[in-house]
Amino acid sequence: MTHAIEIKNLRKTYKGGWSPALDGLDVHVREGQIMGLLGPNGAGKSTTINILCGLVSPDSGSATIFGKDCVTETLTLRKMIGVVPQQIAMFSNLTAWENFRYIGSLYGLSDKQTKERAHDLLVRLGLDKHADKRINRYSGGMKRRANIIASLLHQPSLIILDEPTAGVDVQSRAMILDFLKEYNQQGKTIVYTSHLMEEAEQICDEVVIIDEGKFIVSGAPLELIKNTTDCKKLEDVFLHYTGHSVRD
Amino acid sequence: MKKIIATIQKEWILLRRDVAGFMLLFLMPAVLIIVMAMVQDAPFKDYQELRFDLLLADNDHGRLADEIKFGLKQSKNFRVVDSVDGKPLTEAQLLTLLKGGKYRVGIVIPQGATAEVINAANTVANRISEKIGMGKLPAREMRDSMYVRMYFDPVSKPTFRMSISFALDKYITYSCSNLLVSRLGKLGMAQGETIDTAQSDEFKRIFQGIGIKEEPLNDKGQISKFISSVQHNVPAWAIFGMFFIVIPIAGNMLREREERSALRIQLIPHAQNYVALGKIFFYTLICTAQFAVMCAIGLWVLPHLGLSALYMGLHPMALVPIALCIALSATAYGYLVGIVFKTATQATPFGAISVVIMSAMGGIWVPVDLLPEVMQNLAKISPLHWGLDAINHIILRNGNIGNVIPHLIVLLAFSTVLLLISLYVSRKHTHSVQ
Repeated sequence: MTHAIEIKNLRKTYKGGWSPALDGLDVHVREGQIMGLLGPNGAGKSTTINILCGLVSPDSGSATIFGKDCVTETLTLRKMIGVVPQQIAMFSNLTAWENFRYIGSLYGLSDKQTKERAHDLLVRLGLDKHADKRINRYSGGMKRRANIIASLLHQPSLIILDEPTAGVDVQSRAMILDFLKEYNQQGKTIVYTSHLMEEAEQICDEVVIIDEGKFIVSGAPLELIKNTTDCKKLEDVFLHYTGHSVRD
Repeated sequence: MKKIIATIQKEWILLRRDVAGFMLLFLMPAVLIIVMAMVQDAPFKDYQELRFDLLLADNDHGRLADEIKFGLKQSKNFRVVDSVDGKPLTEAQLLTLLKGGKYRVGIVIPQGATAEVINAANTVANRISEKIGMGKLPAREMRDSMYVRMYFDPVSKPTFRMSISFALDKYITYSCSNLLVSRLGKLGMAQGETIDTAQSDEFKRIFQGIGIKEEPLNDKGQISKFISSVQHNVPAWAIFGMFFIVIPIAGNMLREREERSALRIQLIPHAQNYVALGKIFFYTLICTAQFAVMCAIGLWVLPHLGLSALYMGLHPMALVPIALCIALSATAYGYLVGIVFKTATQATPFGAISVVIMSAMGGIWVPVDLLPEVMQNLAKISPLHWGLDAINHIILRNGNIGNVIPHLIVLLAFSTVLLLISLYVSRKHTHSVQ
């Protein structure tokens, strides 16, 4: 199986930062899998995602998506990836439909294409009856779902989701996770970060645990649980490798 | 009480940590005070305290012209410009320079003015000498059509025109008095000999012999329109209002950054450029529409309120490119403020106060030529000044598009520089994240 993402010896220290955000990180994501990028606060998850989508340049090392360099081929890459940021990156005073139509047009989609794609996704994520409501009138869960739709209009081959279920109710979370599984079955690769280990255990084919900017361990959730001493769930594995001390 | 003190402490800590906001709180009012004090100083001064360039074309080359020139040059109020490139200024050159808008007033001393005054003086002297049986000086019938002509830039205010007229009248009277005394001297009258001239018609005639006449600057048949409340305030405050677009533009951009929709745009390939262009185009049109509405008010609403209707000049269509260029400058400025500042708390007061400062510098509040020299030079960096001056060329000086091309170039250059700075700052922000 070919690699969708290859991260080699990636290093990044922010200006004024007292320790590196990434310290020689190595991660590989196979095409077509759901990969969970896990780590405590400050582990380097967001920096990794920002480098992958070309928002941040690494100090050294390399990161490629489908063989394309994340620093030099950013514009080509952005057509192939869909990023679902942790924040609701939508125009709150526009309706969901107005948002999708605008975002679609910026991706170069025709109105018809946008309408068809947005409609399918709206139905799938239970927002079809609310498409004409302004985003600022949506509940937290609805905003999260709309945020995902906006990132998928251009039908990317790789989706990167940064805590897509943070702060949503159980029903919305279930809907989002079901949707991601279904989307993955269409052959799409999904990279996903979360602090909810139970959720990662439930949907990820493989998880990578990173800490202090370094790779710690990777593997299928059940395999990791099985191979780590005294661990009954992924959370135990996570604590085993990253420790119990609180991170700042 | 403890709770209030705790709140005060908390607010102080927050304010102290917002260094940029804290600086703005003191810096912007400080700049505003300095600029406004300098600008508003002018209206509190009499015109007597100000100094103007005065164009003078001497077609007479006689004693009267010399005395008028001498008087004007002695005055603290005028800098007499009577030559160009070392050659005496001609009437045609004087008119061209005035139409260019750089000068406010021009005086033409007609050919034969001295001869006319001498003739008038001789006539009066002869009348007086007849009464006391003395000699006679050569004199012919006086002409009625000899005038020192004054031309004013239509931008000049009535009080200015009046003060120039008074000053000129004073110098001519002085010159004529000297001539009369000299004529009487030739007739053999002693210096101390008293003549009741104050009440005599003849003495009055000597001053009518060479009068002062204000001529319209425009060509024959054209409408002469001097500045009025409507002619100044409609374009001036329309430009001021257009620049206030800085508040919605910057506010909109900051809101998009705060709600992270700007991040969404950043993630779409090439979208940022299109979004920036779209924004600039949209707000430029809004500003232009704003200008059109203001002109419409000047044309059709103000006359119903007892004011004169806005006169749009002989080439009103030339206002379209001017309005577009001003609108682009205003939009570019708003875009820069939206890029540079990180919060609306910083951008809003900065945007509003800076527009007030630029408008004061640019002659929106008080005409630029009434400002101190340092402010007149500073006015050139205000796009509002270039915009207003361009409009004045069209609606006051009856100019056409050709007359305002330098203004349009300056406004476009201003917009380009601001947009390039925005681009640079925007890229720097992206890199500083890294």
